[in-house]
Amino acid sequence: MAEVSVNNVTKTFGSLKALDDVTMDFPDGGFFALLGPSGSGKTTLLRAIAGFIFADSGTIRIGDQPVENVPVEKRDIGMMFQNYALFPNMTVSDNVGFGLRVRKVGAAEERRRIGEALDLVQLGQHGDRKPHQLSGGQRQRVALARAIVTNPRVLLLDEPLSALDKALRVDMQFELKRIQREIGITTIFVTHDQEEALTLSDKIGILRDGKMIQAGPPRDVYSNPADLFTATFLGEANILDALAGEGADIKIPHGFPTGGTLAVRPENISISQTEPTANGLSKCQAVLERRVFAGAMATCILQSNGNRIKVISRDQDIPSDVAEGDRLWLTWPVEKTLSVPSGRH
Amino acid sequence: MSGVFLARLGKLWLACILFFLYAPIAVMAFMSFNASQYYQLPFDFSLKWYEKLAGNQEIVDAATRSVMIALATTVIATILGTAASVALFRYEFRGKRFLQVMLFPPIAIPWLITGTAMLIFFFGVGLGRGTPSVIIGHVALALPYVIVVVSARLATFDATLEEAARSLGADSWTVTREVTLPWISSGVIAGALFAFAVSFDQFVVSYFLSEPGDSTLPVLIYTSIRKGFTPEINAISTIIIVVSMAVMLFAARFSNFGGER
Amino acid sequence: MSANLANQERLRIFGLLSPAYLWLTVAIFLPLSAMLYFSFLSDVPFGDADWHHTTKNYQAFFQTKTYATLLWKSIRLGLTVTAVAVLVGFPCAYVLAKTIKGRSREALFLLVILPFWSNSLVRIFSWAIVLRGNGVLELGLNAILPFQVDVNLMFSTPAVVIGLVHSYLPYVILTSYLALQAIDDNLIDAARSMGANKLTILWRVILPLSLPGLLAGAVLIFVPVVGSFMEPRILGGRVGTYYGTVIEDQFVAVFNWPLGAALSFILLAVVLLILAIASPVLKRAQT
Repeated sequence: MAEVSVNNVTKTFGSLKALDDVTMDFPDGGFFALLGPSGSGKTTLLRAIAGFIFADSGTIRIGDQPVENVPVEKRDIGMMFQNYALFPNMTVSDNVGFGLRVRKVGAAEERRRIGEALDLVQLGQHGDRKPHQLSGGQRQRVALARAIVTNPRVLLLDEPLSALDKALRVDMQFELKRIQREIGITTIFVTHDQEEALTLSDKIGILRDGKMIQAGPPRDVYSNPADLFTATFLGEANILDALAGEGADIKIPHGFPTGGTLAVRPENISISQTEPTANGLSKCQAVLERRVFAGAMATCILQSNGNRIKVISRDQDIPSDVAEGDRLWLTWPVEKTLSVPSGRH
Repeated sequence: MSGVFLARLGKLWLACILFFLYAPIAVMAFMSFNASQYYQLPFDFSLKWYEKLAGNQEIVDAATRSVMIALATTVIATILGTAASVALFRYEFRGKRFLQVMLFPPIAIPWLITGTAMLIFFFGVGLGRGTPSVIIGHVALALPYVIVVVSARLATFDATLEEAARSLGADSWTVTREVTLPWISSGVIAGALFAFAVSFDQFVVSYFLSEPGDSTLPVLIYTSIRKGFTPEINAISTIIIVVSMAVMLFAARFSNFGGER
Repeated sequence: MSANLANQERLRIFGLLSPAYLWLTVAIFLPLSAMLYFSFLSDVPFGDADWHHTTKNYQAFFQTKTYATLLWKSIRLGLTVTAVAVLVGFPCAYVLAKTIKGRSREALFLLVILPFWSNSLVRIFSWAIVLRGNGVLELGLNAILPFQVDVNLMFSTPAVVIGLVHSYLPYVILTSYLALQAIDDNLIDAARSMGANKLTILWRVILPLSLPGLLAGAVLIFVPVVGSFMEPRILGGRVGTYYGTVIEDQFVAVFNWPLGAALSFILLAVVLLILAIASPVLKRAQT
């Protein structure tokens, strides 16, 4: 186990800056997510840490060791690929044992550790199968067992769950988290699914156009986005710039940066039919345009002074007699107001 | 015209083509078992031309030489071609496209031109005619086929498997041996069989490069034909065609040059 | 940073590629260059022959009409063989790709292209047995027909054409088949649903879509036929003098290598011109 640190790493492909002066620390034993839209550089960063890509400048350290001149096979990492990349010509056991054979640990030791790893992912009985005889979820477990069996210093996951269907994906998220806790390995995973990133990780790095926009614990990043992109990429946000009009009272939170933008997340807004009177609430009026029922939750789209505002709340919290076209009051606690420094949009 | 009628007509056409392709070969094989020297009918079964063949030292020598040259070509072209295919598949580098285009001339330029050019060059560097020159020429003609066949197989290979192996600590040779080669082995075998066929059937380049009195089988047949037909040539030709068709049938099992499977 | 690793990788690429490409250079590209050089010499520069640089080998091509006439004859032969092979082969490829289904298609396709991979010299020789006077063709026809016919195609231009078509027909069937197979059957059904008849579908859908494959096959036939010499020699006899046989003579009979080199190079120029014109089509056929 080891910490990983990435300092001022830049990588260009032709005229494209895939990584632009990226810096991020991954302390020992943590679970980290690299999040961003496609083309943001998150996979490039992961592959640079793995050693498949060599950065043009900057340093990458695993433990205390600078790895710029260390090829992949000498970096002592474990990696899981999007398509699992199980060797089709080998059995499950041979797949898992590949890294041990390369390290020449000896037959008995190899068998023991393969058994342990397969037990850890609950596939103890499947050692003799070939990968094509397994289901998607099982393949994923084999890939995980193969990646951790060598006790690597760091575990790298490239969109490990994206090939699974939704139900299985949620199961695997917990499973992954459990195993990571159990062995305490520093884990870095790439995803474009913000929910997955928020669920799993101790720290999120958000990338866009090759730049590290923001890095921090999920809750911090979610409630204090560094810019508008982060605010809207990590969940949805209503921009409050032009909100005014009759009865509107938008309170500005303490320490609001000059030239910043106010925003509020859809789930933090409450809807009421009468003007609320409580203190410490921001409020404005809006016309209900559409109300979409989705089981326990409901989504409302409203118009206020030319702004479109989205509200997500429990269906039972919205008065049942509101109808499309009604003029309603929206309120949210001032501390839930996001103050977003204006950067690049 | 109804669709059924057209389909029948089409199948009839296909049958005609197959007849056109195989009839002369069948006739030749048939005649090689006919006792009459002048292809006289009625047919009188005899193995005497094959017996004569076995006693003809010149033909036996040429056949041995052809097989040896084909085997040498197969080994060299398969090893060099597979190595090149793996590099072309695995790495991105400048000039890769150019190298791929460079495989085209040996296939596309008529053998008459390549053969005469080799003759001039090998004389120029003092190597002259002979078996080494023939092998050098055959390998060059077989290489592009090996690379094309092996690359086609590699195209179905998932490159992340190599990355996975490397991430598990395997060096480049271990990756090749444990992961890449097992996957492409069928392509390598098919490529080897292609190389054998290219060399064993090669006439034009051998014709210009082999020494008189020390020639390959096709060259010997050509010079014999020009002297006049004998049923012995039928016999050896029948053997050649059976061997090369068997090799290609085998190659077809290992590659999918028959299109989709 | 990581210059070491980049160097190691470069070394590995070089190690894997250089044997094959060095071989191709020594056996193909240097010889072609040597031939170009030779074509500007007055005599072979071996032994104590007296030689100097000259352009007279190329002048020979343009001064006497013989060579140009023979080149034109070879090109005409190439066009004839290509046309016959396309007309015969395309319908055959169509039947294979679109009419025949299932496993028999695979087997039949293999059967059609198998001869192509067997010895061409032997196949040409087999035609000699069939076509000669008093040969199998004549005997066969006389056995069927009520009257006597005298068929001796041997040593004639038709014999050369038949032999060459036999040699190269599988090429055009192969490339057309691959192109036709790639055409989605739904396209044909869609055209039919819009009321197109068979001929319209053939002209407006199938032919345009399979044209790259068809043309690729045509080029792959035309080029070697223009440079053929063995087939005309065996099947053409006295009428079998073509551009290719003249080049052969320079190397194995007359021993005028510089002239042979010049004639080869002119042929190469023609071939490269054709390939250059056809290369956009060939590229499309590849994909």
